Amino acid sequence: MPDLSGLMHLVGLLIPIESMQSLFMQKAFVGLLLLAPMTAAMGVQVVNLRMAFFSDAISHSAFAGVALGMLFSIHPHWAMPLLGVTVGVGIVAIQRHSMLSSDTVIGVLFAAVTAFGLALVSRAPELARDTQTFLYGDILTITDFDLMQLAMLLVVLTVFEIWSFNRMLYICINPRLAEIHRVAVATYQYIFAALLALVVIFSVWAMGVLLVTALLVVPAAAARNLARSAGGMFWWAVTISCSSAVAGLLISALPQVRTATGATIILIAFAWFLVSFVPVAARRESAR
Amino acid sequence: MSVVLGGVPVLDRITAMIPRGGCTCIVGPNGAGKTTMLMALLGKMPHSGAVRISRMPDGRAPRIGYVPQRMDFDRGMPLTVVEFLAMGVQRRPLWLGVGRKFRERATDLLERVNASHLGSRRLGALSGGELQRVLLALAFQQDPDLLILDEPAAGVDFRGGQLFCEVLENLRAAHGFTQVMVTHDLGLVSNHATHAVLLNRQIIAEGRPHDILTQEHLTAAFGTHMGGAVVDIATGPCHCTNHGPDDASPGVGGGQE
Repeated sequence: MPDLSGLMHLVGLLIPIESMQSLFMQKAFVGLLLLAPMTAAMGVQVVNLRMAFFSDAISHSAFAGVALGMLFSIHPHWAMPLLGVTVGVGIVAIQRHSMLSSDTVIGVLFAAVTAFGLALVSRAPELARDTQTFLYGDILTITDFDLMQLAMLLVVLTVFEIWSFNRMLYICINPRLAEIHRVAVATYQYIFAALLALVVIFSVWAMGVLLVTALLVVPAAAARNLARSAGGMFWWAVTISCSSAVAGLLISALPQVRTATGATIILIAFAWFLVSFVPVAARRESAR
Repeated sequence: MSVVLGGVPVLDRITAMIPRGGCTCIVGPNGAGKTTMLMALLGKMPHSGAVRISRMPDGRAPRIGYVPQRMDFDRGMPLTVVEFLAMGVQRRPLWLGVGRKFRERATDLLERVNASHLGSRRLGALSGGELQRVLLALAFQQDPDLLILDEPAAGVDFRGGQLFCEVLENLRAAHGFTQVMVTHDLGLVSNHATHAVLLNRQIIAEGRPHDILTQEHLTAAFGTHMGGAVVDIATGPCHCTNHGPDDASPGVGGGQE
């Protein structure tokens, strides 16, 4: 495990405010700067593919992941991503091979993993304490190991977004047209589902089950209002996500505020979303 | 070839030929199985029997371009027409911009379909006729030997439909691809097609449009109310001209094995 103390010290120097001199705040800052671009990039595709419900289902598999980890003596850091990816890929497989509508398939698996997780948790009272952590998340307790996992995921996701952004856009617009024009739709759908599942599960630690989908959807929705091109939507989403994450962390640590970091981040992203309607209204006015 | 969906035969032992280099129209009433036949031809519909597509003279499989019927997509998505045309061919992600080569290629494609002014417009803001021409440009991005169109002028106003038809004729004359088009517009078939397949779950007739669009065949395909249409179709509203087939593009045949 590489020593991250130098990086944390640098963060403290770059942001010379009192709250940022604590190690846990510095780690949270780095964690959010790793997480925010990932959720922004994936959020663009989640919004364009209307997959918000999918990410909800994955986030709710967190309980089952922890419980399964307990059963088979696997650390939650591995059990949760493993189950999340299995559920994500499973949803895509059933969607592709059944006549059921997409939201029905997700709804069924959502219910199944949530019920399974709660059933196991109800048999293990020691897990009930952790349930609240997963519901609300806590970026301030992020560990060096979590940061390393996030950094590795960011590298993988950057490669994916370079390699597949254009083809994913094709699939977002019309999968049948994409398939006929020689885009390997199934391959992209499976890889995207697996990566999205990983991003969602890692975001659960920071944001909690209740707010994970918001971190994916809100910046991308605001970006959609602000942008006029696909490239523009991507950069707006990254800007809104990163700025909301940093501002949310700093504001939540103010003595007079002292709110939950995850919730504060989402509220700032929501403020961006409200502001994003200004150019929409202006465009509508000029079109008249 | 036969297609059964949910226990219901949608196409029942049909056999048809699509001559290379011509414009073949698949015509029939709603629910006749026209789109199903196209999807089976494209390999996107489970079917019994076989679809045989001839290879090109140089031995390779033909490239296929496809123009869907009234493409269902999210019109609120921010995406310019140039990005739309670049996304299938440019490897560099669009968030790093559209490369000069691909921008020029998109502009060239738009010029070919009389839509050079649409490059910077949002895809979702296009009218029905403009969108169909941009979709034609996208299909041409494939440099197709076989161009398949599913009711491309459906839902487009008269002028838009006429313009689309003219653009298509000029392109086929210039590039010599094989064109297969689903329609229920008999005027368009009469003025545009070099070959027609009259379909209503089974093949009613197949051949030159003027030979097969007879009262007897139309009644069999569409019902008794189509009797008077035979007189009108030869002077229908479409002003496109016919171009005869050549040997540069693939022919397609489907049948029951």
